Amino acid sequence: MATTTVLTTESPDRWKYLNNILTRRGPYSDETFEPGDEPKAFLADLKILVIGAGGLGCEILKNLALSGFKDIHVIDMDTIDISNLNRQFLFRESDVGKSKAEVAAAFVMKRVRGVKITPFNCAIQDKDDEYYKQFKIVVCGLDSVEARRWINATLVNLVGDEILIPLIDGGTEGFKGQARVILPTISCCYECTLDMLTPRAAVPLCTLATIPRQPAHCIEWASVIQWPKEKGDLKIDMDDPEHVTWLYTKALGRAKEFNIPGVTYAMTQGVIKNIIPAIASTNAIVAASCCNEALKIATTASPYLDNYMMYTGDESVYTYTFQHEKKEDCPVCGNLPQALAVDPESTLEQLMEKLQERPETTLKKPSLRTSSKSLYLQAPKQLEEQTRPNLERQLKELMEEGDELSISDPGMPFNLRFIISFSS
Amino acid sequence: MSVPGAPTAKEKKYDRQLRLWGAGGQEALETAHILLINATAAGSETLKNLVLPGIGRFTIVDHAVVTDEDLGTNFFLDDSSIGLPRAQKTCELLCELNPEVQGNFISDTIENILKSDPEKIKDFTTVIATGDIPTSTLLALDAILYPLDIPLFVVKCVGFTVSCRLALAEHAIVETHPASTVDLRLFNPFPELSALVEEKASSMDDKEKMTTHEHGHLPYVLILLQALNDWKSTHDNAPPSNYSQKNEFKKLLRSKMWNVDEENFEEAIAAVLPHFNPPSIPTDTKAVFQDDKCQNLTKDSAKFWIIARAIKEFTEKNDGLLPLPGALPDMKAESKDYIRLQNIYKTKARADLAAVVGIVQELLKGLGLDGGEIAESEVETFCKHAAYVKLIRGRSLNEEYEGSPRARVISSDLSDATSLIHYYLGLRAYEAFISEEKNTQHIAPGAEDSTVEADTEKLNKHVTELLDKLSITHSPELLEGTEKAIGEIVRAGGGELHNIASLTGGVVAQEVIKVITKQYIPMNNTVVFDGISSRTQVYQF
Repeated sequence: MATTTVLTTESPDRWKYLNNILTRRGPYSDETFEPGDEPKAFLADLKILVIGAGGLGCEILKNLALSGFKDIHVIDMDTIDISNLNRQFLFRESDVGKSKAEVAAAFVMKRVRGVKITPFNCAIQDKDDEYYKQFKIVVCGLDSVEARRWINATLVNLVGDEILIPLIDGGTEGFKGQARVILPTISCCYECTLDMLTPRAAVPLCTLATIPRQPAHCIEWASVIQWPKEKGDLKIDMDDPEHVTWLYTKALGRAKEFNIPGVTYAMTQGVIKNIIPAIASTNAIVAASCCNEALKIATTASPYLDNYMMYTGDESVYTYTFQHEKKEDCPVCGNLPQALAVDPESTLEQLMEKLQERPETTLKKPSLRTSSKSLYLQAPKQLEEQTRPNLERQLKELMEEGDELSISDPGMPFNLRFIISFSS
Repeated sequence: MSVPGAPTAKEKKYDRQLRLWGAGGQEALETAHILLINATAAGSETLKNLVLPGIGRFTIVDHAVVTDEDLGTNFFLDDSSIGLPRAQKTCELLCELNPEVQGNFISDTIENILKSDPEKIKDFTTVIATGDIPTSTLLALDAILYPLDIPLFVVKCVGFTVSCRLALAEHAIVETHPASTVDLRLFNPFPELSALVEEKASSMDDKEKMTTHEHGHLPYVLILLQALNDWKSTHDNAPPSNYSQKNEFKKLLRSKMWNVDEENFEEAIAAVLPHFNPPSIPTDTKAVFQDDKCQNLTKDSAKFWIIARAIKEFTEKNDGLLPLPGALPDMKAESKDYIRLQNIYKTKARADLAAVVGIVQELLKGLGLDGGEIAESEVETFCKHAAYVKLIRGRSLNEEYEGSPRARVISSDLSDATSLIHYYLGLRAYEAFISEEKNTQHIAPGAEDSTVEADTEKLNKHVTELLDKLSITHSPELLEGTEKAIGEIVRAGGGELHNIASLTGGVVAQEVIKVITKQYIPMNNTVVFDGISSRTQVYQF
């Protein structure tokens, strides 16, 4: 075994307390758990991937390094921002602008001797199946639904001969958070629970355009209507202070016109960036819970979470630990298409808008097909032009009851499947 | 480039937390001074989560010298720390996290400090005790801190098992951060609101007097109030009171729609169940009003009690109604109509506030205090949250250990083998073990493989002794869960697992922040966590 080389450079006392758990059986340990040197060696040998080196990621890297994992990879495409420093404790003011993955990896390797962390400053989508196959466990500390769906679907698709990579996922908002363990195809996956997300209430465009009442309406008017009108194709950069200031000033003017109080710079940022409050302590709770599960899964020293823990800290301390059920018609890990009732009189465009609003689909640029024909394709250009007239047509002209509708979207590495029924 | 309202450097750095506790909460954190007893992994992680958001100062008291074992659990030590004072090294590495925080250390035992200079303990805003501290020391700390209302957190973290006890005599919270503070006053409209209903909505059934556009943009509050007038005229002047009447009322609203897609009427229908409640003062607010400290003000009374008393008196003069918070949710409406309605609520809220401020001034005068003692902004915050304030009365550690009346909390949970009460008992037994007189080095149970069996026996014995002392009946069957919990605790041999220590640091820091900022609601008074089943339970001992 190639594991002992790393261990010998350390004092035998260093991991004394971890060893107590690994060399002694507990009352709740699984029968298959063999206390002794083996779980320790296994830990040192096991390749583990961390996705995200932000608030959760910094904690996760520290925790895994101090849990006996020795071969860690980390992927994050972001650079360090000043607003990260209130919780992302591996970064200092002088690191602002540098790669999160690289700075975090270097810091933990320097602090915890004997651990190897390989950073990648890229998107998770840049890596292929061969890359992901090398890991025994993936721990996710992300703030994006899209990235979570992608890695979840990727790990589900990888399930096959001797490959089953547990996905441990954490998330936080303010004093609340959750940690969960996903055994792809065995227990419920990220996609199975997508309907738990509360959809962001969309403000009708006409409210923004004609009858604003809230400061947020003025801010959204500035970014959704006024920016494209005055700035044309230039994209809004939420991190560019000049852009934010422009939007803030416009929103303030709009608010003044309608006598709406309360537009502030901080609120402008909050609305356009959809900022979620984040603090060190909540990240610590959720990341530690994730890594605790990683350690238990890797060593079988104690039973692991099956499969979901919610933590609520704003009113006393409350956790809800439960088994979330797998969805038989989950588009990723299930094998049944979902039922979808549509109004046959409505147009294809209206159906697409409806699908985009649903929290369980949250599509960006969907392409739609039935088993017999393409209804609307976003690309390539000539097919988009060819199928565009269908957007105006009523659904009853395009499909029949019982047809299977398949939807693909650049944001999802899988297709959604629906069985159509008509209702008014 | 300087834009009015643009954030300062500090606001940028703390942006994500200011959205949770605002400038007031931040100010409270920045003036706090935390004492950490023992730089364990859990203790250091707790401090990390307080240094990052910018706590003012911290002091670490720890007599230990850094060993190799520490490096396996504590991230705020490195190879160069070995052999040096643990208080000093953790202090240094924690200070790196935030240049605005001042860290101090005392390389001594807490027992020595209690002996030589117990006054020193009184300087801290909050005290966090971690690691293997004997019972006598914990009770001595409690005896000093509890009467002074200085929060003491006693944190235990052994293997997969954690408990955190907060000993704090009294904690009053105004800013509890409820999901909403909206009070629409539907059952008690004030004159200005009734006048607006008369002006805008009295002809909402008359297609001659109102256009379809106007009808589709009537704010739902006005729709509800107008429909209530109609309802009352046929129901002995009483609003819908029960579920079936509320459903009937919803039907009435539906019958008043001119088109199937009038969003404002849909909003009105959706608002019936949440907003049709007779006015009443919530239990927690009532408890504050009836508290002795509210009844008997002195010149030493905390501002909280003076404002509470003023609001109580206001309520008595106003048909039992609390001051209006003044918030109005968004609703389908023309901009100018919505703003007008919003201003009517705000104006009423300001009038109520002015009345409460007047009472506060009189109370201060009566107490021989200066009228400027309490800022109007403080009264305003209280008025907005009057229905959501919370008073927590804690219990001292000494009371708990002497055989608290809360012992039944233990007995009622004992028969449930999956209850976390077993871990609480296991940790109490652990504490008894390290507090044994002959265990002068505070050696932990299970420290060596060879002692596991005998130590397990001892811990089981400590549990039965504790239960006997509390007069709780027990049997081997009832203690099956406890025996397993003890097995798990002894397995760890007194050591921390980094993940569990880190989680503990998160839980404790959240509670410390809530207590210091006086925002959100802290747990009262013990939370137990089990890292095997990943569950928590809060007990009130």
